[in-house]
Amino acid sequence: MSASASQALAYLEELPLTVHKKLYQQPSTVLAIFRCMLPHLAKTIVMAMLYMTGPLPIADLDAWVREDARSEKDKAVSNLESLHIINLEQESPKQYTYRLNAGFARSLRQALTGGGSHASFGVPPSQPDPERVDLAFLDEYARKRWETILYYMVASTSGLANAESLGSGVNDGTKTLLRNGEFVRVIHGKAHITEKGFSFVLQEVNSQVWSLLLIYLKHAEQLQMSEVDILSFIFMLGSLELGQDYSTETLSPTQQKMLEDLSALGIVYCSSKSSTRFYPTRLATTLTSEAGALSTVEPVIANALDAPSQGSSGKGYIIVETNYRLYAYTSSHLQIAVLNLFVKLTSRFPNLVAGKLTKESVRRANGLGISASQIIDYLATHAHPQMQKNNPVLPPTVMDQIRLWEYEGERIQTTDGYLMKDFRDEIEYNEIRAYTESLGILVWRNDHKRFLFLDRLEQVKLYMENKKNRGRSQASK
Amino acid sequence: MPPKRKAAQAVESDDDYDESLDEGVLSDQETFDRLKAQYDVVAMSKKARASHQVDAASHMFKKADQWDARLKPDHASRPLWVDDAGRIILESFSPAFSEAQTFLINIAEPQSRVSKIHEYSLTTHSLFAAVSVGFSTQDIISQLDKFSKTSLSPSVRSFIEKSTSSFGKARIVLKHTLSYIESDDPEILRRLLRDPTIAECRADGSNDLLQEAAPKVGGIAIPGTKAAAGANQVAQPQQQSEMMASLKEDDDDDDAAQVHSFQIKSEERERVIKRCQDIGLPLTEEYDFKNDEVNPDLEIDLRPSARIRDYQERALGKMFGNSRARSGIIVLPCGAGKTLVGITASCTIQKSIMVLCTSAMSAVQWRAEFIKWSNVDPNDIAVFTSSDKNTFPRQAGILISTYTMITATKKRSHDAEKVWDWIRSREWGLLVADEVHVVPANVFKKVTYAIASHCKLGLTATLLREDDKIETLNFLIGPKLYEANWQELAEQGHIAKVQCAEVWCQMTPEFYTEWLRPSSTNQKKALLSVMNPKKFQACQFLIDYHEKRGDKIIVFADNVFALEAYAKKLGKAYIYGDTPQAERLRILENFQHNELVNTIFLSKIGDTSLDLPEATCLIQISSHYGSRRQEAQRLGRILRAKRRNDEGFNAFFYSLVSKDTDEMFYSSKRQAFLVDQGYAFKVITRLEGLEHHNDLAFSTPQERRELLQSVVDAKEGAGDVENIKGDLFGSKYASNQGRGKKKAGVRRLAGTLSELSGGQDMAYIEYNKSKNKDLKKKQGVKNAFVKKLARNTENARKAAGK
Repeated sequence: MSASASQALAYLEELPLTVHKKLYQQPSTVLAIFRCMLPHLAKTIVMAMLYMTGPLPIADLDAWVREDARSEKDKAVSNLESLHIINLEQESPKQYTYRLNAGFARSLRQALTGGGSHASFGVPPSQPDPERVDLAFLDEYARKRWETILYYMVASTSGLANAESLGSGVNDGTKTLLRNGEFVRVIHGKAHITEKGFSFVLQEVNSQVWSLLLIYLKHAEQLQMSEVDILSFIFMLGSLELGQDYSTETLSPTQQKMLEDLSALGIVYCSSKSSTRFYPTRLATTLTSEAGALSTVEPVIANALDAPSQGSSGKGYIIVETNYRLYAYTSSHLQIAVLNLFVKLTSRFPNLVAGKLTKESVRRANGLGISASQIIDYLATHAHPQMQKNNPVLPPTVMDQIRLWEYEGERIQTTDGYLMKDFRDEIEYNEIRAYTESLGILVWRNDHKRFLFLDRLEQVKLYMENKKNRGRSQASK
Repeated sequence: MPPKRKAAQAVESDDDYDESLDEGVLSDQETFDRLKAQYDVVAMSKKARASHQVDAASHMFKKADQWDARLKPDHASRPLWVDDAGRIILESFSPAFSEAQTFLINIAEPQSRVSKIHEYSLTTHSLFAAVSVGFSTQDIISQLDKFSKTSLSPSVRSFIEKSTSSFGKARIVLKHTLSYIESDDPEILRRLLRDPTIAECRADGSNDLLQEAAPKVGGIAIPGTKAAAGANQVAQPQQQSEMMASLKEDDDDDDAAQVHSFQIKSEERERVIKRCQDIGLPLTEEYDFKNDEVNPDLEIDLRPSARIRDYQERALGKMFGNSRARSGIIVLPCGAGKTLVGITASCTIQKSIMVLCTSAMSAVQWRAEFIKWSNVDPNDIAVFTSSDKNTFPRQAGILISTYTMITATKKRSHDAEKVWDWIRSREWGLLVADEVHVVPANVFKKVTYAIASHCKLGLTATLLREDDKIETLNFLIGPKLYEANWQELAEQGHIAKVQCAEVWCQMTPEFYTEWLRPSSTNQKKALLSVMNPKKFQACQFLIDYHEKRGDKIIVFADNVFALEAYAKKLGKAYIYGDTPQAERLRILENFQHNELVNTIFLSKIGDTSLDLPEATCLIQISSHYGSRRQEAQRLGRILRAKRRNDEGFNAFFYSLVSKDTDEMFYSSKRQAFLVDQGYAFKVITRLEGLEHHNDLAFSTPQERRELLQSVVDAKEGAGDVENIKGDLFGSKYASNQGRGKKKAGVRRLAGTLSELSGGQDMAYIEYNKSKNKDLKKKQGVKNAFVKKLARNTENARKAAGK
């Protein structure tokens, strides 16, 4: 699962059952969640249960999974439970079973086999568009729009003299969005990028789109928009075809209103506000691509977005040497501005920028809230094809050094989370410890004092409630 | 002369130099400074920068911003970029890479040669060198333009033109021991003669210039090369690039095979050289040794078994490019056979040779190498050091000496004085200056003025100094003729592959508290960080680990206090400046041949010229501030590892630094040079298995406190860096000082004989003793069988005595 999908998943998991129920009425939504949100094992479980007539006893599920993959199974089941895709039910006093959410199952079957009149995969207009646009236009449109947003964000720190004007094309809706997401802070009418903003800028485009859309969702209620409608629309966009135009007539009022905002972001293209058709851009159609799509579809979009001048050189453009020198094959001001955040730039040629990673430049980036791993990720994902022949892609000494520079400045690390203590007995402590460990949410423990420190609580809560219910029913028997 | 006046003059006619007659008062430093100012690249690039368009991101690029330069349509197949300041960025994955590299190595200084992208920079000296090996201005520009992705900027063009037009146009040549100034262009000579100083120094009375045929290019064969191996002794050197060949053709077409010259007084030679530099026409020095019939020939040739490697051949090819010997510097990594280059050069010139090296120890090594590689009669090799003062008996020979001996300012002993006079009275064919980077300019100046040598060859691994004195060497010896690529040599197996690591050692709380104390002097702080128990443990652990692997280990410590403390505690042999010569040799021999002695501790006397091919692992516990040269030289000690061609062999280089001290800062500075040569330093924050190691030293707080106490009590100056007498690393250059020093260590104690003989049930056992003495004992007989034999004879003798 890609980083972008996981942040979307985290959001989805927090939604209540009622929202989930509504969402699962749309086959496109169900398909998108199934395709890109679920871990591999969860998919297998869902597929196995999809055409099952009855519920699946817990014991059976346990029998499917090998002992050494127990933690994987726990994770998958926990995901499915929190998304309310499967529910734990008590069949008989002794037997617990899992049952697939009826709405989810119905929609998924519909998406897989076709049929129905749901129109959730979009409806092309009956008349062909007289002003049909081609793929290149859409890519260019999306790139321009998205870059404008990034320019707007980095204007304050990029050091680009004309950054202000470059980012001036951003409309008010988007500005509010960025402010709501705490990516920028507006001081005296000027946008200043925040720590969150920096990590946003360094992300993959796909992750960036998701982050913005999630912010959009979180603030939807203020705009009197239905969360479900928005989500369904996002998932629908993910299953549309690039280059095809779609009719706006089947969309709900919320979704029609949303179209305007999305076109400001460059996710869809409408020739005018009154137009009854829209085109999804590459930013939209890659939204719910599967994890694997990152390496196939992503390069195309990265290329379209990142390296306009270097069509042929493929995805990456950065070379990092063991002597900490960095060479970037680019002429894009945006990329220069991003590099300038953590590289001491020295010279520039028409298609090359040269600089050096120094302790000062990396520490300065750390000071702005950019972490060493973000820098390393950025360098690795944008590595020049020549670098990608290496394994690992970046010279290990350079990666170590970047981390050490950061580490040198921060000798104390903080983690937000929850402390669990006062367990009833050793057995309970051990059980919870094993469960949280298998979910990978256990940060620290002290066996002697029976303390557990977790970075997330929901699953454990659910687990304990289930256990309590089970215990009660057993007691009542 | 202030630059201002110079500028004012430039407006006047070209040949009006009358005003600058006061050159006598100028020191050389000023001359250099002025020349530097004249060819200042930075100023030029600044000017060039103004001509470029500025865009929003321009201010981010401090050094160069040439985004508006025109990109050639087929830029993808061209390998390099050139910026206004002459810096060149080269793609190593480009198809034209090797061709471009061969060219760049001739015209530019390599800055960094790592894996994907290399950097070079054009300097006046590198262009000077290019001209002196036969490149024309036009050639340099057109080739560079051919390789460049963008069209060459006018400022680079004019920089190349300016540098090459003034450099190397005229040559100073010793012919039949007479000095001539020679040039292809008579106009240049006329211009020189218009200068009153030079005119004054002219020896031939006539007004005409002499004319003769130009020497044939590549007319000689360097012994040991492929060319010499073939039957055809005048074969053309094969390494000439295509472009060089085309250049030669051009020369033939122009019928420019005429050289013009005039003679100057030999005794005014130095003045002329200086004067020519002053007026912007520096002379190259060349020696036509083939036609030198005055100086007797030396019978010397390489042994048939000696083969020189292709990069050595390339280097020598530069030196003997047009059948004359050119003065200059050859830069090869340690262990890549600098000595052999020097010997081969000697065998090519076959005149009297003078070799200067840094210490008496390396003088001995040079002598051995000469005998090993060439067929020279050992009697013809004389050594002139504080312990040997020989001359060679015949007309020609080889003299090996140290810089200290030659430049001694104090009154010499009678013997030394005699040899010295003899040296000065002779003419030398070649002066080989080993480890030329350590020689301060003023010392070397003395050497060059005192010794009449036709040709000078400087050898070094690291043409760097933390002060910028390197540039002056360009004037005193000559341009850099060749610099090898370390990574390439390592790939080809000529030098060992090395894993470099920097080990971070936490300071223990008690040491750090002391370190932080405001009253701690810098020396004390340095000592505290060296003596850090954690570092000691790391060192101990690494020694144990590598000894178990079968490595031979050298541990370097600049600080003698620490050196002694470490070596004694760990029971290892150590050598530092005050170790007597005999003891040094004994320890080194043991290290090489005795399998029980796998580790030695060296102070910085071991940095250079110590040939220990057995060593495969190197640990550095303290070092000289941020000296890049020292780091590279030390690395050099393991580059010639014997086992380097074994499958998967790696040598190891560890640098131990105490965290949160100055050492961290200096260590990154020190590594700069090696990192640019493509070495990667891995940072190790934790040594795997250190905590499970048995009997670590200083594992209890008690021991650590005692150690701290000893460090605190150490007398002031213990933290000082060792000052080695008679060694060029020290600040004093006086010779013979070390000998007069009184040896400490004899004390008179009261006691009874029975005590000492063990009559009171007491025995003397020295803990913490120096391993050095141990080695001395072992010196006699090592083999058990031989020992037994000796014992038997002894017993037999005793029995017989009874």
